[in-house]
Amino acid sequence: MSLLEINNVTKKFSGLIAVNDVSMTVETGQIVGVIGPNGAGKTTLFNCIAGALPPSSGSIVFDGKEIARKKPYEICQLGVTRTFQVVKPFASKTVLYNTMVGAFAQTSHLHEAEEKAIEILKFLDLDHKKHVISKSLTLPERKKLELARALATKPKLLLLDEVMAGLRPGEVTEMLPTIRKINETGVTIVIVEHIMQAIMNLSEKIYVISFGKKIAEGDPQDVVADEEVIKAYLGDEYVATQH
Amino acid sequence: MKKYLNQNPVVLKLTILLLAVLFLLPLVVTSPTLMQIFILVILYAYFTSTWNFVGGFAGVLPLGHAAFVGIGAYTSTVLLQTYGLSPWIGMIVGGILASIVGVIIGIRTLKLRGAYFALATIAIGEGIRVLFENVKEVGPFKINGPSGISIPLSENSFTAFQFDTKAPYYYIILIMLLVVLLLTYFMMNSKIGYYLAAGGEEPEAAEALGIKVSRYKVIAMAISCFLTALGGTFYAQLMLYFYPKSILGLDLSYEIAFIALIGGRGTILGPVLGALLLRPVSELTRIYIGDMLPGLHLVIFGLILIVVMRYYPKGLVVPVKILFNRHIIDRFSKQDPSNGITSTDKAD
Repeated sequence: MSLLEINNVTKKFSGLIAVNDVSMTVETGQIVGVIGPNGAGKTTLFNCIAGALPPSSGSIVFDGKEIARKKPYEICQLGVTRTFQVVKPFASKTVLYNTMVGAFAQTSHLHEAEEKAIEILKFLDLDHKKHVISKSLTLPERKKLELARALATKPKLLLLDEVMAGLRPGEVTEMLPTIRKINETGVTIVIVEHIMQAIMNLSEKIYVISFGKKIAEGDPQDVVADEEVIKAYLGDEYVATQH
Repeated sequence: MKKYLNQNPVVLKLTILLLAVLFLLPLVVTSPTLMQIFILVILYAYFTSTWNFVGGFAGVLPLGHAAFVGIGAYTSTVLLQTYGLSPWIGMIVGGILASIVGVIIGIRTLKLRGAYFALATIAIGEGIRVLFENVKEVGPFKINGPSGISIPLSENSFTAFQFDTKAPYYYIILIMLLVVLLLTYFMMNSKIGYYLAAGGEEPEAAEALGIKVSRYKVIAMAISCFLTALGGTFYAQLMLYFYPKSILGLDLSYEIAFIALIGGRGTILGPVLGALLLRPVSELTRIYIGDMLPGLHLVIFGLILIVVMRYYPKGLVVPVKILFNRHIIDRFSKQDPSNGITSTDKAD
């Protein structure tokens, strides 16, 4: 049985169909990428999985349990934690405080939460900033904090929403090994990303969404060679001239 | 920071000294008027500290907390009048009742954000006042509408919660305040405190981390309303007479919020600091110009609030902490601590 099964999920906003009949499977231990041009419906699909938006139809099964239409906190308690594209730190609190909020998902004791949080911060190489107020962090640090907080809940499945968006190329190359390192600890990852190079590098399997529809799936190499995908990203003309 | 404070011997000694001064105060101060002012400062610090559980930590601004003061006062008083029940028992009953009312209100309103929650609490608070002004009796209990209730006088006794001198009232409210401050400290350093702060600041991110934000806010509301109502009973026993406008009015609700905002909401000492500053202002304006311009103290509070928000949006607790660290901790941590204590006593 797959860890995450998305079956025929559709999300409509009155007239607009943002996600149209999309199905996906994610196996335990994988890093799965979801890509697509701007406005393709990636983040909407993501919000449906994380519970921020209820899907209009279809089912989402995580670890054998139906999670479509559950609340975000229930989904997190089941073992699916997300990060936000626009980072949302608890701005007036320190890095450690932020991470401890996540760690309280595992324990009710202050000291245990602190220990677990520090462990995670060390793992992500952020522990030297633990007493810094999070609003004074740089963007890459905030993105890392977002990861730290999510990891502190000890998820089975981590949903990363454009965790590299807004980073400079050098910072992206720093982030890639971090994500791989998280995966190596046994956390399955679904990553929505804009930056092709990054996702090609990380993912074992890629789903491509365009105008709300899944247009391709498979190995990264196969997907980039797919005619539909090239069309979606670069337009019809490009496909025509290639031939 | 907290740990740092706890481990610092200067702070520890200062705290013990301050407590000693507070507990010995009634032996030195004999004027009942002055004692009454001290009692009211502590009472308002108490109300604001209990308000703080919701207003400070849950990230919303309740402006109707007088309703719970009133519920506490009315409950213990009607139980005393009708059944001769000790106000101490009535106090607990009032607390539980306030808590239930608070939870019922909170479940609906705590989902509202920003100004909407504040407006909802004003409306509900005023609704409850109007209700009390228009009801003469509920079953066997006499409420007397707008004319209010006076508490039957009894001899000096702890069970009757009535005393000849001000000192017992002073000790009771002082202990109540200290207990609430301790509770605040423990809450801030617990899972509930972390979850409340997270939910107040970024509800969406908090939910994504597995926090049922609304549930924790309702828990905070229940605690806050219970403790506020205990203060209501104390108020009733202190004044021995109250009416809806005096105890359920917006004046009281606003004053609590003013004290919190000026002192520093969401901190342990902010409410105490705010009450220390604003209560005397309120008493003095009432004594000297209250006849000419009733409600002037609220205007003055407003002006103070504007100035404080302009320079210290997190309240006066911020500059006070900085000054304290710079002038007291830094100076006396290195020197003879006993020397430090005597001079800081003067500074306080």
